[in-house]
Amino acid sequence: MTKFFTQLAFAACIAAVSGGAAYAKPHNVKDFPLAPRIAAKIAAGEKLNLFVSYPDVSNEFAPFVIAGVERAGKIEGITAKVIGPVGPDADAQISEIETLMDTIDGLAIASVSTDALAPILNQMIAAGIPVVAYNTDNPASDRLVFAGQDLTQSGREAGKLMGDTLGGKGKVIITTLVASAQWSIDREAGAREALKAYPGIEVVATIDTGTEPQEIYAAIENAMLANPDVTGILSLECCSTPAAGTWVERNNMKGKVHVVGFDLLDLTVEHIKNGLIDATIDQGPETQGFEAVNLLAKFLHGETIDDIDTGVKVYNAANIAEFK
Amino acid sequence: MTEQAARAKIAVTAPHRIRRITLGREFGVFMALLVICVVLTLLNDRFLTTTNLLNIGRQISLVGIMAVGMTFVLVSSEVDLSVGSTYGFCGIVLGMLMVAGYPLWVAIIAALISGAVIGVINGLMSTYLRLPSLIATLGMLSMVRGAALIMTDGKPVTVNAKNGVDATDLAIFGFIGQGKLFGVPMQLVFFIVIAIAGWFLLSRTSFGFRTFAVGGSAKAARVSGINVASVKIWALTLMGVLAALAGMLSLAFLPSGQAGRMGLGLELDVIAATIVGGTSLAGGEGTILGTVLGVLIIGVLRNGLVLTGVSPFAQEFLIGLVIVVAVAIDKWSTASKPA
Repeated sequence: MTKFFTQLAFAACIAAVSGGAAYAKPHNVKDFPLAPRIAAKIAAGEKLNLFVSYPDVSNEFAPFVIAGVERAGKIEGITAKVIGPVGPDADAQISEIETLMDTIDGLAIASVSTDALAPILNQMIAAGIPVVAYNTDNPASDRLVFAGQDLTQSGREAGKLMGDTLGGKGKVIITTLVASAQWSIDREAGAREALKAYPGIEVVATIDTGTEPQEIYAAIENAMLANPDVTGILSLECCSTPAAGTWVERNNMKGKVHVVGFDLLDLTVEHIKNGLIDATIDQGPETQGFEAVNLLAKFLHGETIDDIDTGVKVYNAANIAEFK
Repeated sequence: MTEQAARAKIAVTAPHRIRRITLGREFGVFMALLVICVVLTLLNDRFLTTTNLLNIGRQISLVGIMAVGMTFVLVSSEVDLSVGSTYGFCGIVLGMLMVAGYPLWVAIIAALISGAVIGVINGLMSTYLRLPSLIATLGMLSMVRGAALIMTDGKPVTVNAKNGVDATDLAIFGFIGQGKLFGVPMQLVFFIVIAIAGWFLLSRTSFGFRTFAVGGSAKAARVSGINVASVKIWALTLMGVLAALAGMLSLAFLPSGQAGRMGLGLELDVIAATIVGGTSLAGGEGTILGTVLGVLIIGVLRNGLVLTGVSPFAQEFLIGLVIVVAVAIDKWSTASKPA
């Protein structure tokens, strides 16, 4: 009977938490109803199994995140492992977490879909497993903290860069791999907001390029043919950025069509060096991967944690040599 | 029974009628393409320009090359869902070998052999192991994509001088993917050559005849002395080689490939274009000319919808609608033709 009331009290406590009574920030494990199995492992000094779920482990961004996680895996008292679907599949991401839930001592997640993942994340928190978000926040869940870039703010920064590069006048197309994805919506909103400060700039269209490289290039090619007076291409992500630079190169539009984008893929770096891309915004994916694990390790070992803004680092021809 | 006798026997059951239907199908697809082109020309003055038409030609080439192979596979009454993964895998193999310092010709041969091996395995699974090709190639789709990811650890493979690729090889590779022959993009040149070779192989050779025979009725073909398994394995092997070629051309055009994205989902475009061109999923029917027209319809639509400023979400809807309508009209018109 005592056990029953204990469980009932614990369940009531969890219900209060998962019912939206978010933890006060910053967070400390002593204020968190940690699962008994995890508490026992900590007390026994056993290694904690921390998992980092990435929304598509097969994309270009993933190796950088994985490198950060591997670096963090050397932190004492933990093991860190990257999980996630091949391809941005919310169901697969949920299924994997469900399967591993009993072995997870802490989860860092970049959700494929905010709304789809929130229930399972809240279920984990209710079970006493700490969850933090990284790279892409999940505000619909009760995650503890977020380590990453403010997507709307990074969009604003990209918009401002484009506005300044064009000298405040011209026509711009925005390119994105998935126009309907939350990260894309947030960045586009930020970019459009920033571009409003330049009355001489018109955003002609948003181009959903798809994710296959040939399709991305073809979409840019078609859009530029449809809008020959466009002088700026603003890419919202890693992969249409180098494609836009390649289009500029192949069509001898260097200096006539300006490109601002995101991330530092090999081809992006090369295009910046050759003046085909004007600027790119680095998200610090390696840092995000590291901090995802580091936050969990600190939390479980009794340190107080809070949100981390991994910032916006702009690279252009003047400073691209700094990137190694 | 000799092949000539078999040819004569099957010809009795599939005489001029099939040719008439085939001709009608190609004409119907051509008319649909013509209507789409006229509408797009009226809606946008940039559609009917040399630059745009060459763009379309280049943009459809890689799917087109694979669709030629898919025509053989579908006509033989099989299907290959692994073409997108094979395309990505072979492109990555080529890129990795070049970056590792191997000569271009060695890398090309290795990539083509990789495609052929994947095709042979698909063929063996579909025939001797009696797995439906839908299942066998679905599994292969996943295995090949996974293998490419394992090989690269998910990292992009970039073929450039910085990564140590020989300058001469780089120049030749660049010409293959990005060069022009008499103003025609090389990818389109490859597509034209492959389409002509495919047409010849399917409609003018003994192998083409046996492919139709096997797809029309495997039992009748077997009774007629045709090695059904061999024909199917060859068709799937040809598909693998053409997917490899397309993947190589893709990397030559955009010299940075990533295993997770290269060719992702292309199998659906390839199958859709082939079916829109009149090739039957049930096997035994199809032409290379129809496939080329089907590839053109989808390519022209994608290009035209962007030119006319249709929203990306509406584009997906419209392309899907056209595929369904085109196949439905084809089926209705075929059903209504007098025997």
